[in-house]
Amino acid sequence: MIENFKINSKEIDKIKKISKTERDFRINNLNLFNEKGFPNKKQEDWKFSDLREIVQKNFKKLDVNKVNSKVKKINLIKDFHHNYIVIVNGELKSSNFSFEDKNRVRIKNFKNDNFLQKNKENSLVCLNHALSDKGYDVEIEANYKFKKALIIYNLFTKDLKENILNSRNKIKIGENSELHTIDLVINDSKYKFMNNVYENIILENNAVYKNICIQNDKNEGYFHKFSKSKLSSRSKYSAFIFPSGPKFNKLDLEFNLEGEDSECILQSASFLNKNDHQEIKTKMNHIAPSCKSYQKVKNVLGSDGKGVYQGKIYVKDIAQKTNAYQLSKALLLSDSSEFNSKPELEIYADDVKCSHGATSGNVDEDSIYYLMSRGLSRKESIKLLIDGFLNEVVDMIKSNSIKKFVKSKLESQIHGY
Amino acid sequence: MLEIKNLKASINNKDILKGLNITIKPGELHAIMGPNGSGKSTLANVLSGKNGYKISGELKYQGKSLKEIPIDERAQKGIFLAFQYPTEIPGVNTNNFLKTSLNKVRKARGKKELDTLSFLKLLKEKSSELGIDEKMLSRQLNVGFSGGEKKKNEILQMKILDPNLVILDETDSGLDIDALKIIADGVNSSRDKKKSFLVITHYQRLLDYIKPDFVHVLSNGKIVKSGCMELAEELEKKGYKKIN
Ligand SMILES: Nc1ncnc2c1ncn2[C@@H]1O[C@H](COP(=O)(O)OP(=O)(O)O)[C@@H](O)[C@H]1O
Ligand SMILES: [Mg+2]
Repeated sequence: MIENFKINSKEIDKIKKISKTERDFRINNLNLFNEKGFPNKKQEDWKFSDLREIVQKNFKKLDVNKVNSKVKKINLIKDFHHNYIVIVNGELKSSNFSFEDKNRVRIKNFKNDNFLQKNKENSLVCLNHALSDKGYDVEIEANYKFKKALIIYNLFTKDLKENILNSRNKIKIGENSELHTIDLVINDSKYKFMNNVYENIILENNAVYKNICIQNDKNEGYFHKFSKSKLSSRSKYSAFIFPSGPKFNKLDLEFNLEGEDSECILQSASFLNKNDHQEIKTKMNHIAPSCKSYQKVKNVLGSDGKGVYQGKIYVKDIAQKTNAYQLSKALLLSDSSEFNSKPELEIYADDVKCSHGATSGNVDEDSIYYLMSRGLSRKESIKLLIDGFLNEVVDMIKSNSIKKFVKSKLESQIHGY
Repeated sequence: MLEIKNLKASINNKDILKGLNITIKPGELHAIMGPNGSGKSTLANVLSGKNGYKISGELKYQGKSLKEIPIDERAQKGIFLAFQYPTEIPGVNTNNFLKTSLNKVRKARGKKELDTLSFLKLLKEKSSELGIDEKMLSRQLNVGFSGGEKKKNEILQMKILDPNLVILDETDSGLDIDALKIIADGVNSSRDKKKSFLVITHYQRLLDYIKPDFVHVLSNGKIVKSGCMELAEELEKKGYKKIN
């Protein structure tokens, strides 16, 4: 049992070649983390997901050391042509941009150079600031549209066992440029481990970014990601999240609509089976006028599955003509499934269109009856209804080959039901 | 084919069917007419196996009691109910659903499952007979279908699943005359010596196009009168009140 998970500053000394400023920054953050420990339900943002309790219950120890794993070959997806980068336990290992003009894309290991950031509210972010020394940094020049999607293969190796990984990633898309990425988690570890990611997305004026995030298979991982995005004028960000898979998953997503006429769409569909715990927390910050945001979060919860959606829309006084929408729908398959939704609106402008809604309920008995009257068993009927519930989100993916791929992934998850 | 003796059914402490008798032989088409609230849909639901009813009396299909047989098995054994109000099911693709359903029924009958190509061929044939736009079939099941489209989709399912006992619950109501004719054609072309039909309707109009062998009047949970086509015509003239 981890009663007091404290980390010695010696861990920071293991990170080579860092300046004094960087070291101080890391030490400061480490102290903050050691003071606060893992977040617990007393903090508003963690009300529904007491990570301290979860860690205490499930881990005997947590190892912060790097895991240097050999990865032979990964099975690339054959369903469609794509560029790719390979991340192993958080570390950038290789990249392939064979479909692109290589002069327009830059990729390297992430190196932090901003030592002013502070995020005292989330101690996991402090932990990441203190310890992360790996991750990727992708930059697309201005006026370049990617020809094929970029798949980010996130591998977790089988030698992970009670480790906690900290990594930091950044994607920057230049003016008038466009990038589509697919985040794919592939896990080989049969053991429990934690993965703590800090992510930065920057969209310059007119940039377009589309991202699909898929957890490939069931695993014993405990995932936390803090993501901060900046949307400049007329930029468009569309995110699809299909996050089922890990035992625990918290996505803390902050979108800053900083430029006029920018647009952010977030759609998510998850199937949370036995004992899975997942939270999606969003903060949609409308800072400039005439921006649009749209969020749709759908959850199917099996026995003892727990889902949370905390969605906040903030509209600054100058952000007139804001159009913000948020919808959460949950399908509960068992009496022991639990879903919590906490919408929050904070609006300081008067000429805005904001709406939110949340529904949760059991599978519709009339629908089951209809399907059974056509020869399907009760279980098959429910499965078809779950599929239908989630596919409503998947069907919004424009590319047919990618849609088919996502569908097959989701269906294989539901098959376990 | 179907033998019902002294059937009583109640739900939520409300007695709806109160001792109903009817026997349908292979090849026969029976019409049941009755005022609103007389228990027509309840009879259809009970035959399909819908849960929630308290039932007594005898219910035999092909010589065997239906009592312990669940909804899906009844469908697999060849009982088909065209619903008065087909359920809208978001997210479920009509085509996929039809294929899944057909293959379930085929499998139960010991037939080989159809592959996608042969299924689509069958679907094309049957849907063009009913004048169904194929685009409709790539949409979500019944979602946003017009009243007529929903009913046509029910008849399409009947044609594809090829059941032994067909129950049509007010399939005619709310249809314009063209749609009514198409649906009647669909039923007439399916009639043969082996199949039986129980056609529930509120109006005589449908029976101008589908000629019944027998007509029954259902009132307050019981068959109060049985006869031939003339009975339907009499009902149309005099209204339900004068019959019992
Ligand atoms: N689930 C139910 N609970 C209570 N009463 C019901 C229920 N279903 C039907 N009824 C009542 O039973 C009667 C018969 O209904 P129904 O079989 O639908 O009639 P019909 O189809 O002939 O119009 C009506 O009075 C109706 O209100
Ligand atoms: Mg009725």
